[in-house]
Amino acid sequence: MSIFKAFLKVLKSCKGTIILYSVILIFFAAFNMKAGDNTSNFVAERPDVFIQNYDKMEGITESLVHYLEGNANIVPLKDSENAIKDAIFYRDVNYIITIPENFRQDFLEHKNPTIEVQGTGDYLASLSEMYLEKYLKFANIYRDTFSSEEELIKNIEKTLDKKTNIQVTSKLDTDHLAEVANYYNFANYSILAGCVFVICMVLFSFGREEIRKRTIISSMNYKRYNRKLLLSNALFACLLWAFYVLVSFVLFGSSIFTTHILFYMLNSFIFTLCALSIAFLIGNLVHNREAINGIVNVVALGSSFLCGAFVPVEYLPDFVLNIAHLLPSYWYINTNESLKTMEVFNFESLRPILINMGVLLLFILLFIMLTNFISSKVRKLHS
Amino acid sequence: MKYVVEVKNLTKEYKNLKAVYDLSFGVKEGEILGLLGPNGSGKSTTINCLLSLLNFSKGKIQIFGKEMNPNAYDLKEKIGVVFQEVAVFEELTVIENIDYFCGLYIEDKKLRKQYVEDAISLVGLEEFKKFYPKQLSGGLLRRLNIACGVAHKPKLIILDEPTVAVDPQSRNNILDGIKTLRDQGATIIYTTHYMEEVEILCDRVIILDKGKIIASGTTDELKSLAKLEEKVTVEVLDLDEKYMKEISAFKNVEDISYCDGLLCITYKKGKNNLVELMDYLKANKIKYHKIFSERPTLNDVFLELTGKELRD
Repeated sequence: MSIFKAFLKVLKSCKGTIILYSVILIFFAAFNMKAGDNTSNFVAERPDVFIQNYDKMEGITESLVHYLEGNANIVPLKDSENAIKDAIFYRDVNYIITIPENFRQDFLEHKNPTIEVQGTGDYLASLSEMYLEKYLKFANIYRDTFSSEEELIKNIEKTLDKKTNIQVTSKLDTDHLAEVANYYNFANYSILAGCVFVICMVLFSFGREEIRKRTIISSMNYKRYNRKLLLSNALFACLLWAFYVLVSFVLFGSSIFTTHILFYMLNSFIFTLCALSIAFLIGNLVHNREAINGIVNVVALGSSFLCGAFVPVEYLPDFVLNIAHLLPSYWYINTNESLKTMEVFNFESLRPILINMGVLLLFILLFIMLTNFISSKVRKLHS
Repeated sequence: MKYVVEVKNLTKEYKNLKAVYDLSFGVKEGEILGLLGPNGSGKSTTINCLLSLLNFSKGKIQIFGKEMNPNAYDLKEKIGVVFQEVAVFEELTVIENIDYFCGLYIEDKKLRKQYVEDAISLVGLEEFKKFYPKQLSGGLLRRLNIACGVAHKPKLIILDEPTVAVDPQSRNNILDGIKTLRDQGATIIYTTHYMEEVEILCDRVIILDKGKIIASGTTDELKSLAKLEEKVTVEVLDLDEKYMKEISAFKNVEDISYCDGLLCITYKKGKNNLVELMDYLKANKIKYHKIFSERPTLNDVFLELTGKELRD
């Protein structure tokens, strides 16, 4: 039986774990596709507003109410203090505007009447406030310019009627790319956990002291033997990577075939090599089958959480991000995130991505050097 | 007869400890050499040095007339080793394990298949070919361990305590297998704790203690080194102190004890010890049930030479 066949036999004993990691990844990707948000066009939001009008519905008061009705959902409420408090508490309305008695008259006479407001303090309440302030700002400006109320109202409405058409000019399907980026971000966990678990198990089986001794005393050149074992492990890592790339093709369909996917593939391939080097380092340090599972969880889950594979980087506190800089996953995920909004591929735009990939390659070099250092120390200890 | 293994002035030191000191011995072609010694006597260190698994401080090791070193793959091809610890893959079946380890030496698939079958029949695992190691008993596992070490039909076989914690049936099977290997022309170095195995198997024995050879020779030669000649045990129900004193005054008696109805007498070399004792018992009308006479064992020799039991 060749070393590769024995390797495959040992690998077979890990198939349950590999399937589990792959299923988690596919499940996550499928869930993420369903939950994805739409950002390809822009629609202004309408806050829920209750207008408590104590003035007569005429002139500038009427104009203000109409303007608000055009930009917000006017919610009918009972005109009682308790009903208003409840509505704010339960978020039935975002904003309550109280127009005082004689508002129109006072405004035209420059008495600066006060409009009382109450809000939920959230983004929609701010939006309501913005609409109100916008109207009053123009009203204040035009009041000195136009002498008649009719003209004043006409000009305010004319100015406020000017609408800007917002169109998303990018040709990028950002929704789709966000899903792909999320998939490859989550693949950080599956690649890392899969490689570390399987390779550690293989190295444990082949590296047991008794089997190692039996191999060293055999007539097979030990360097050749190690090379074969290394290649077998590398082949497994490459197959795992190829499988996850193939899954991404199946999940996202033909729309994935853009320049972006080439970079996602390249980035994930370099990260797979990095995971391979991490696995070799851990495999050389750990000589306990039971400990491998725990270490996989610490390494794969830990770096996935710290580096933003599960939680978007924007939500992570600064100190966590500072720690994440020390982990390869951060640079891998950072590239995925940069790719998702990248429109032009030239040296300038690719520079941060190439730097990230370079950092990953440096990590690989570091892990290989550490593995060699530890192996030579162990060899000296045994001789 | 030419030497297959020649060790000259081998010394292995660990910081302040000399694990093996100035060890010299040879193993002739076709013989079984027993390396005997308690734990820590230097047996395994010697074997690890022989196999270049350990660097050594001084000395010279030649195998098949060539100097042994970690890159001597032509020599390693002719050597088979069975370590004390079972060295097999849990994930491979019996036949796959043997095939794998044989494959480290033999690349020709057809030849390897034959060798694997031979190894399986040598250790009697025909019925367990498809079994995984965890499905085997301790004895069967040891047999598999041996098969993995000798499947490539080596000319020099080193067995490091292959029968530790093995049931009698498996032990007999293993010992028969070792004899078969010798009959097929292999030279064997065999380390063990068990005297009876050495007496059955070995043509020559080296006794090690604290890294040094304290005695060597055939089992008979070693036994002749002992001052003791005979041990006599008598089952006597009741024995007065005066009889004990009179018996201890016999010419060749070295030691005497009486405990739980057993009278044990150790004799130095001399003739007619048993006859003299039986005459005395008869003359004094001392009733006895059984009487045994034993020649000294290697353990007695070891005890005499080192002052401790072999299995200490």
